[in-house]
Amino acid sequence: MPAKKMSVSSAISISIAGVLLIISLFFPWWGMNFIAPQYPEGLDIVVYPNKLKGDIEIINGLNHYIGMKPFSEESFPELAYLPYLIVSMALFTVVVAFLRKKSWLYALIVVFLIGGALGIYDIHRWLVDFGTNLNDNAPIRIDPFVPPIFGENRIANFTTFSYFTTGSYIVGAAFLCLLFPLWKERRK
Amino acid sequence: MKKKVISALSGLAVGILASTVFFGNFSSQETIPTAAAKTDAEKVYVPFGKKDEYYLFASGGHSGQMFIYGVPSMRRIRTVPVFSLDSATGYGWDKHSKEMLGGYTWGDLHHPAFSETNGEYDGKYMFATDVGNSRAAVMDLKTFTVKDIIQVPNTSGPHCAAFVTENTEYLFLPTRFSVPIGHKYASLDNYSKEYRGVMSAVTLDEKTQKLHIAYQVALPPWSYDLSDAGKKISKDWAVLTTYNTEEATTNLEINASKEDRDFIVLFNWKELEKMVKEGKYDNVGGQKMIFPEKHKGGIYLVPVAKSPHGVDVTPDGKYFIASGKLAPLLTVFSFEKAFKAIKNKEFAGERNGIPILKYESVMEREVNPENALGPLHTQFDEKGMAYTTMFISSEIVKWNPNTGEVLDRVPVQYSPGHAVAAEGDTVSPDGKYLVSLNKLSKDSYLSVGPSHPESMQLIDISGEKMKVIQSVPVDPEPHYGQMIKADKIKTIEVYPKDEKNPDAVYNQKDARIVRKGNEVHVYGIAMRSKFIFDAKAKRPDVIEVNEGDKVVIHITNIDFDEDITHGFAINQYNLNMEIQPGQTNTMEFVADKPGTYPLYCTNFCSALHQEMTGYLLVKPKQ
Ligand SMILES: [Cu+2]
Repeated sequence: MPAKKMSVSSAISISIAGVLLIISLFFPWWGMNFIAPQYPEGLDIVVYPNKLKGDIEIINGLNHYIGMKPFSEESFPELAYLPYLIVSMALFTVVVAFLRKKSWLYALIVVFLIGGALGIYDIHRWLVDFGTNLNDNAPIRIDPFVPPIFGENRIANFTTFSYFTTGSYIVGAAFLCLLFPLWKERRK
Repeated sequence: MKKKVISALSGLAVGILASTVFFGNFSSQETIPTAAAKTDAEKVYVPFGKKDEYYLFASGGHSGQMFIYGVPSMRRIRTVPVFSLDSATGYGWDKHSKEMLGGYTWGDLHHPAFSETNGEYDGKYMFATDVGNSRAAVMDLKTFTVKDIIQVPNTSGPHCAAFVTENTEYLFLPTRFSVPIGHKYASLDNYSKEYRGVMSAVTLDEKTQKLHIAYQVALPPWSYDLSDAGKKISKDWAVLTTYNTEEATTNLEINASKEDRDFIVLFNWKELEKMVKEGKYDNVGGQKMIFPEKHKGGIYLVPVAKSPHGVDVTPDGKYFIASGKLAPLLTVFSFEKAFKAIKNKEFAGERNGIPILKYESVMEREVNPENALGPLHTQFDEKGMAYTTMFISSEIVKWNPNTGEVLDRVPVQYSPGHAVAAEGDTVSPDGKYLVSLNKLSKDSYLSVGPSHPESMQLIDISGEKMKVIQSVPVDPEPHYGQMIKADKIKTIEVYPKDEKNPDAVYNQKDARIVRKGNEVHVYGIAMRSKFIFDAKAKRPDVIEVNEGDKVVIHITNIDFDEDITHGFAINQYNLNMEIQPGQTNTMEFVADKPGTYPLYCTNFCSALHQEMTGYLLVKPKQ
């Protein structure tokens, strides 16, 4: 006998998760803000799934003093394929909503968790790469450092604040939408 | 139950009341002083982090520069070079400014004027004229840099300028000195016949940011002193003061003061424009020139007390005020009366082919403040009250143009030429502040020897009575000024990338040196803290040329960052230029001195600014 299908409200909740994933594409996911005495207004790196925004050229210009390699959208191949991954994920989510099968939902949640972990690992990997592969020939020699993915750090005259933002929150909300059916369909 | 609710609610109410009583702030009325209670010091103090309410553009006179101040703090913010060389900004050494200056090294910047829309300052452009070398300039207020300078043909010393019409259709440049057309040689014995006081109508092409002369008017050989465009009902008209209508050719102090009356030239620029369209002009050396005695219409003369200086149109556009600078009398003239007299052809003859209106038929009233002497120039406040500088009696007189009543007088130190009120020559002056531009400072400041600074005094005109609240020295020499509400000016901080500019290099890897015969073209970049002229060279910050080569150096400042300006100077080659953030600037010279010349960044940019250097190596001829 086939397993009982999940309720319509659960299916809707999962569909919403799919829609939210698509919406998240249009918002920044993660960012870093740099503040120094000469930059009280702060400089920004803002990361979208498909692009970088903010004061990239100014930050690159300043980073050459500590021997950090300049970065641009080209230095992160992820930005080229991440939107496709997210769209595929959204499609998969919508398919699960149609199937209304718990087993598929579990699979989806696992993929979600793995994706999230990989994403965070990826940011960390880049932070290690940029923070530790410093050119020895730089005018200012500083110890290699790894800025945190989240929170405050100090490099030379800059205080940096890393943070997750709108896009990540939307994805978080999407994840909650996936958890909702687990509560809804719990055995009574 | 009911009882419980009531007691709970009442308890809450008591709590709120108690907290209000104990922690409430009742001191607000005491801590915010009212405007009247502010001391002079408080009125002019603008703490760090706060900005001034107005920009003051003070003409720099024979410094050839424009001085930018903040009001009410009277802090000098910037000096913008216009007609003279300025090594601080490399103005006159980089290609564009060198070409604009056209070989002249100094200028005499007189009366500045903002561009206007509907008779209001629009904050887009500033115009200025050079009495010293007969030029006109336009400054873009996005960058506070001069975009174009034109030499005005047939004219010598456009002192009577600049004034713009209500929608910046024209910038008129009447002249102080009459000369023969084309500046040709002509004996002064033939002054009345061969000399002319040519006025130019100049237009600005906003797209190319270039000035053009639309047409000229060969006015009689008199001196034209000051001017103003009409407003509202008089918007198609303009007025100029004249002196030396005696047409004296020597010792003007005596000979140009003989007649009791000189004239105000009243003209309708719409009519002149129409005449030009209809071909009613002569072609003179490539200029369309109207000769009033031949191409009649649109120009009239109004008698005025002798040797007048300023002529100023009231904000409502109904009246113009003028006065002889030696006479105590101020005359209010009526545009409406003048229009009526023109319509009825009530003329008292002609002078040099131009109809003269009768003084009595245009005069609205005469005002004679007791013992006030030397009225020069008038500004207005938000109620339309007039503020006139008195050069000889060294004071500002506030009076009502509608009644002639003198309302207040305040002494200034010393001898004010012009005054400038907040948007004081627009259709809607702001009142609040008036700056008196004084020609003499004498004992006002710490002595710097026999040559003294001039002086500017800030006067609070927000109340019934005027009050001098600040006094600041200023370099020679402000004539007129313009005061604009700060939020009308929208500056940029960084030049936007222009991918179409063939001289620009935005990626340091693209920096290159191109050699064509005896020409060397450098496409380089400046960034904190280095120059890169040739990205692929062993020493990217070195330029090597042969003696006699023509060297063209384009440098793009790729620090797209607020206030990161670089300079570029070549030691002993007498060369320096400024490269603002995002800007591409060009320097051209002939490497005629063989040898080794260090080059460096002149504008302090970063912690390693001292390291921002390189070399120009000029190989001697074999
Ligand atoms: Cu520099």
